Amino acid sequence: MSEIHLTINGKPVVAQSGQTILEAAKQADIDIPVLCHHPALANWGACRMCLVEVKGMRGLQTSCTCPATEGMEVETETEKVVAVRKFVLELLFSERNHYCMYCQMSGDCELQDLAYRYGLDHWTYPRPFEKMEVDASRKYFIMDPNRCILCSRCIRACSEIAANHTLGLRDRGARTMVVADLDVPFGESTCVECGTCLQVCPTGALIDAKSAYGGREKDVIHTQTTCMQCSVGCDLDVVTRYQRLLRVDGVWESEPSGGLLCVDGRFKPLYEKRQRVTGPLVRKDGKLVAAGWNEALGIVAEKLQSGSCQGLAYCATTDEALTAFARLFAKVDGAAGRIEPQVAPLGFGQVAKVQDVLDADVIIVTGAQPLEYQRVIGYFIHRAADQGAQVAVITDDENGLSARAAMTLTSAEAGKAVETAAGAGKVVVVYGTEIKPEVIAALKPLGDEAYILALDPARNAQGATAAGLQPQEPSDVDVLYFLLGEQSEDAALLAKVNGAFKIVQAAYHSPLVDQADVVLPTPIWVERTGHVTNLDGSAKPLHAALLMPENVRDEAEALAALADMIG
Amino acid sequence: MEERMMHQVDETVARYGSTDEALVEILRDLSQQAGYLDRPTLAAVAKKLAVPESRVFSVASFYSMISVEPLGKHVIRMCQDAPCHVAGGRKIWETLEQALGIQFGQTTSDGQWTLMPTSCIGLCAVGPVMMIDDEVFGNLTPEKVNEILARYREQDGGAA
Ligand code: SF4
Ligand code: SF4
Ligand code: SF4
Ligand code: FES
Repeated sequence: MSEIHLTINGKPVVAQSGQTILEAAKQADIDIPVLCHHPALANWGACRMCLVEVKGMRGLQTSCTCPATEGMEVETETEKVVAVRKFVLELLFSERNHYCMYCQMSGDCELQDLAYRYGLDHWTYPRPFEKMEVDASRKYFIMDPNRCILCSRCIRACSEIAANHTLGLRDRGARTMVVADLDVPFGESTCVECGTCLQVCPTGALIDAKSAYGGREKDVIHTQTTCMQCSVGCDLDVVTRYQRLLRVDGVWESEPSGGLLCVDGRFKPLYEKRQRVTGPLVRKDGKLVAAGWNEALGIVAEKLQSGSCQGLAYCATTDEALTAFARLFAKVDGAAGRIEPQVAPLGFGQVAKVQDVLDADVIIVTGAQPLEYQRVIGYFIHRAADQGAQVAVITDDENGLSARAAMTLTSAEAGKAVETAAGAGKVVVVYGTEIKPEVIAALKPLGDEAYILALDPARNAQGATAAGLQPQEPSDVDVLYFLLGEQSEDAALLAKVNGAFKIVQAAYHSPLVDQADVVLPTPIWVERTGHVTNLDGSAKPLHAALLMPENVRDEAEALAALADMIG
Repeated sequence: MEERMMHQVDETVARYGSTDEALVEILRDLSQQAGYLDRPTLAAVAKKLAVPESRVFSVASFYSMISVEPLGKHVIRMCQDAPCHVAGGRKIWETLEQALGIQFGQTTSDGQWTLMPTSCIGLCAVGPVMMIDDEVFGNLTPEKVNEILARYREQDGGAA
């Protein structure tokens, strides 16, 4: 890349060769309007909103696709340019229903903003639009084609970012519509509800069901934090208003996901139905009753010093809490461990980062179901396959990745994956706890060249490892302390719990909470501060977007208070 | 039925090659063979070429020589471009919709008529213009349209 010099609106601008006029202008703080363009998507050049005049070039140029070159003289708001933009907007407004006052996006709509900017004060053309049917077959968001300007951002986002290829266009001319698959309702389509299309839509055509009418951009607060629903740890932009959670967006240009989220991170936590533990509870006369923090912590401190004890944590909380948990149990000479199984190292290869999947030439997936449990990695694998990577799935059961993999092999055939990888450039092995010993042996010849991505099933597995927490089973002790965070315990764990005195620190009610002798509340993801260490080993910050309920305290703080009481 | 369709798809794909570039040709050919492309056929093509269904559908529904819906016995194509429009096309458009009880892009429930817009067919001098199957009708008025439709109905033995 070399530097080039041009002038935009008379202002000298330095750009890099290969940049478009639009990118060069943006760097110089010159605003050129766009509609079909989105920085997270490939350049498109369809809507003509970004037209500019370039001295010496015939006709107007779409700045979102036209490369900036040395000595170029660009004008972005000439009379001619403005007239064309206005014309385009007038056509868009006459094509479908843009009665803004009935639209949830009014105030935050890129189309409406441009109409104000260019002074559209009346309908220039008759509005022949027919009513099109709204599709509300998906749970989390709605498609209203009446507001759609056919910019195709959603289609490209689905293909380029989510690599899901659900969306396409039906027909041509006035009846063109964004449709799913073979024109089926969105809720019955291959859509995985990642919400990427929703996030890029410039108009009110794709509307989030939860945050609709919840507040305009000017009314809301954005808080950047990290998703705690799986070990990928995507960056989240959490949108709140008056202490109400409205929406979650992805953060473009963040690591590791680059703005891509999955349904577990973007939508599901907003539909939480479990009943919250809102303050400490202690068992009195056989019943759990509300208690003050001092009383509850006092009982716990006394119990922990009065007999043998064991602490078991779901790695569903912060680095700080897991560290404090391990410290507390070291202090009382108790055992402390994690509840989830852990992925064992393979014994060869180099540690991969999540993004290594994207430029791999061969990806071998085994003993893991990333499309179910670390979904963004599943989508990354699809994306790599779109770019020509060979995907080999080694499994004796079903695996969602098989559908688009180059090959699906049984454990006995694992050697074939190694053959495919031979001389293939970058090889990434993605594996989980279900990996079979014979597959490990078969993959060993890949050697230390191969990149290894271990998908630990625990959300904050790395934080737990750093705190020294290894998998443990409940043992025969006097006092059992469960740190559950937002995780509800599974039936298997419950079955192993004996008659010990039980302390449970959890965000939600569950059968284990109901059996506890002392219950301490915990915050949930959106209320957390601290850090969580993701698969890539980076300690990512958590920022609270909502206040904790009055009687809830952060685990790390409560655990430190306990340690102090024990002295 | 299903087997026959699969066979047709296999054979057609084999003829044009199973590449992404051959998609339009494959779809056009299959559409001509069967009259239109039903969903199972489209799905089979997507699978065979390993391209997303959304792409197959986008391509199939874009071209006017490929149909993704069953067409009626008679297909009416009405010019939607400006010359016919200024010559009174709107009235003809409405007359057709009213007379057949369907909108453009639809087929009557008895399977007799499909109403489709088309781009200029080069007969602007006698606009508004429509085609019924291969026959062209110009200088249309609402009365004339109703007459023409009545004539077709009579020929078809008084059906609908
Ligand atoms: S739904 Fe939104 S993003 Fe998709 S084409 Fe329509 S306006 Fe553009
Ligand atoms: S939610 Fe995701 S998968 Fe579904 S259509 Fe949108 S981008 Fe595609
Ligand atoms: S992939 Fe994991 S971290 Fe990313 S949004 Fe989904 S659940 Fe959250
Ligand atoms: S933004 Fe450049 S053509 Fe749409």
